[in-house]
Order: sequence, then C-alpha cells, then structure tokens
Amino acid sequence: METRQGNYFEEFEVFSRKTQSSPVQYHFSLLAPNEDIAIMMAQENFMRREAVDDIWVVKRRNIRKMTAEEKKTLQRIDNKDYRTTKGYGYLKKKWRKYEQGMLDEKEIMSWAGGVKNEE
Amino acid sequence: MNVLLNDMAGEEKLNQFIARIEAGEKIEADDWMPEEYRGTLIKLISMHGISEIMGALPEKEWVPKAPTLNRKLGIMAKVQDEMGHGQLLLRVAEDLLKPYSKKRDDLMQDLFKGDLKFHNVFHMEAKSWGDAGLIGWLVDGAAIISQTNMLGASYGPYARALQRICAEEVFHAQHGEAIIMALAEGTEEQRKLVQDSINYWWESLLLFFGPPSKNEVGTSKQDITIKYRIRTSTNEQLRQAFFSKYVKRILSLGFSIPDESLRFDKESETWIYQQPDWGKLKVFARNEGPRSQDRLSLRRNSYEKNKWVREALAPKVI
Repeated sequence: METRQGNYFEEFEVFSRKTQSSPVQYHFSLLAPNEDIAIMMAQENFMRREAVDDIWVVKRRNIRKMTAEEKKTLQRIDNKDYRTTKGYGYLKKKWRKYEQGMLDEKEIMSWAGGVKNEE
Repeated sequence: MNVLLNDMAGEEKLNQFIARIEAGEKIEADDWMPEEYRGTLIKLISMHGISEIMGALPEKEWVPKAPTLNRKLGIMAKVQDEMGHGQLLLRVAEDLLKPYSKKRDDLMQDLFKGDLKFHNVFHMEAKSWGDAGLIGWLVDGAAIISQTNMLGASYGPYARALQRICAEEVFHAQHGEAIIMALAEGTEEQRKLVQDSINYWWESLLLFFGPPSKNEVGTSKQDITIKYRIRTSTNEQLRQAFFSKYVKRILSLGFSIPDESLRFDKESETWIYQQPDWGKLKVFARNEGPRSQDRLSLRRNSYEKNKWVREALAPKVI
C-alpha cells in the first residue's frame, strides 16, 4: 500500500511573491498528492511568518532546468561595458564641463511618479 | 583498457568535483557527486530531518500543560516549525536517495526498524515545564551552533534549507529563554525547576555535539564532512563554542553547572570539562534511552493511524 505514496505523491516546487510589485521568488520543494494540497502545504510550510501576496506551485517534472554542461555557457567575460551604463560613465565628467548633471539610472528611475517642472 | 579509461574518467570527475567545492560552488541534486559525498549527506540529512520530527514529540507533551494561553500558542508554533523543518530536510534527503529508489516511506520504516537514528537529546524525558524551557534555550541553542556551522555547506539544497531553519531556530531559542527567564525571576520553587533541568540535561548537551574523535565510540563522520566542506568546525570546536556562548549566561542567572571541573583555561583558550559518558551515545543509537521506545511507538502509531489520509489524498488510478 505504501508504494502508492511513492507513485502518486508528486514533487512540487514552491514560489511566492511578497508584494504585488516584487519579483517571484523560489522557496523550496514539497511532496503533495495534487496542486490544491500543494498550495495549502506551501502556505503552511513556508509562509508561517513572512508577508506574502501570491503563491505558485509547479510540478517539478514541468520545470526544464539547465544541465551542468549548459550552465557553463552562463559564464561571462568581463568585456561588455558597451552593454551597461558603466561603459558610459565618462559622460558625467563631460556634462560637468557644460554645467549639467548626468541623467543617470538613479535620476531616470526617479521619474516614475512624474517629473517636477523646472527651468 | 576500458576499465582503465572509466577509472580515469572517474578520477577526473572527482578532481573537478573537489575543485568546484573548493572554489565555493554549490553542488545541486542532479550534479555528479562521489558516492562517499552522497552517502555522508544522506546519513546526515535524514538523521537531521527525522530528529526534527522526533524532537517535536517531547515538546508537544507540554502543549496541553503550558501555564498560560500565550505560552501554549508559543510552544505550539515551535512544534509546528519543527515538523516543518522535518518536511524540508526529508525533501533534501529524498532527492539524494533517488539513485537508490528510496522514498520517504523507506526513511520512516528505517526509523521504526532502528536503522535510522535520531539525536540523543530527543531520547530524554521532558519531565517539567523547566525542561520545556531548557529544551528551547539550550538544546535549540546547541542546535543553532551546529547548524549555523553548515550554513555555507557545499550541498546547495541543504544550505538553503538551513538558512530557513536557522532563522526559525532563533525564535525557538528566544521562546525558551523567555520561559527560563520567567522561572529564573520567579519563586524558589520555580528556580529549582530550572536548576534541576540544567542538572538533568547537561550531559546530553555535551553528548549532542558528538565525540571529539573516533576513539570514544568507534566511528565519527566529522573528518569527511569537513573534507567535503559540509561544515567547517570539528565536534570539539562546536562544543567549545557552546561553552563560550552559554556558560556565562547560565551562571549570570545564578544557576550552577553540574561539573566542578568546568573552567576556561586562558593559556590554551579552551574550556576544560568533565567528559560525558560517551558510551551513552551507543545506548541512544540502539534506541535504549529513557524515552526512545515511547517516542518511536508514538510515531509508529501516528504513521499507521494516518495512513488512510495519505491514501485518500492519493487515490489509486484505475
């Protein structure tokens, strides 16, 4: 009879989001007979204290992970400054010459709530 | 020739594996790992997981007897956490057991047969409310010392489980401290409750960290766990850390420790103490401790009684 558990309880991976604007975060795995019980167990197992806005459970067999071999392709060579703001940092000094501040990431992201009119 | 090639490939894999863990990389469940590493992890993590579950039993005895509603809620939350830790760790062990086609039920059966051990402290009696507090304060305190030592473990799933577990253990230790503090600041009778608990648990606390070497009980996995970067300190270093963190706290509350020889030797910067009876670890390993059999029966009965729930939740596909 016990082999039933082995056969029919499946592995689920648990993810959750703290607030509506947070990214979804991985937690851990659990064993459950179906998705509904998996959601309940995820809440009991992993959300006893922390703030949570949503929980996802995914059957492990539906997740395609990278193999150890594939992971090697993730290593980056540090020669891609042109892709990042780091490669354009020199502009700050240039703008200073023209008595202007640089519109850097911090400044641009601060425009989210609207830009204050100024001369 | 083929055999030779296979051996070379195996040796190269092993060298790569060692290089990875030495570079601080984490090993994941599906990665190649040496058998010795897998076996050591299975033994360590299944014992840790099952100990969390068995450890909930002495404490749950105090849920109905807790002195106030608040204490009852606190100890219930702790018991629930311990079962949760068991679930996390059994998942980690199950993934490691896959190549052997073993599952959670096999681990339970191993426990019932006496093949899978649980920590020495959980074979002891929790006779009084003082014991309930002391388990939280010092047993969980000892567990925190040994578990935080493995937070950087080379096996990723275990390290991640421990992150979650250690954060909750902090609550457990403070829950225990709160009980002890209330008793320590209470009547003479309440203070005696704590002193009796310290006297009863002291030897178990020393045994908890394991023997200093394999000379005491014949075996010790500590060298292998350090070699594979599962932990960083030896059993003795962990025990010394426990003395350093807790001896002064126990004494500051006006309690004594049942070891007249206990002292800090400034020259060698080590604690000198009366060695516990290491033979007792073997007694616990044979499930012959004061409450070993009662706790195993409780677990066995609950597993049997709830079998229909597991089956109802996972009906047989026709």
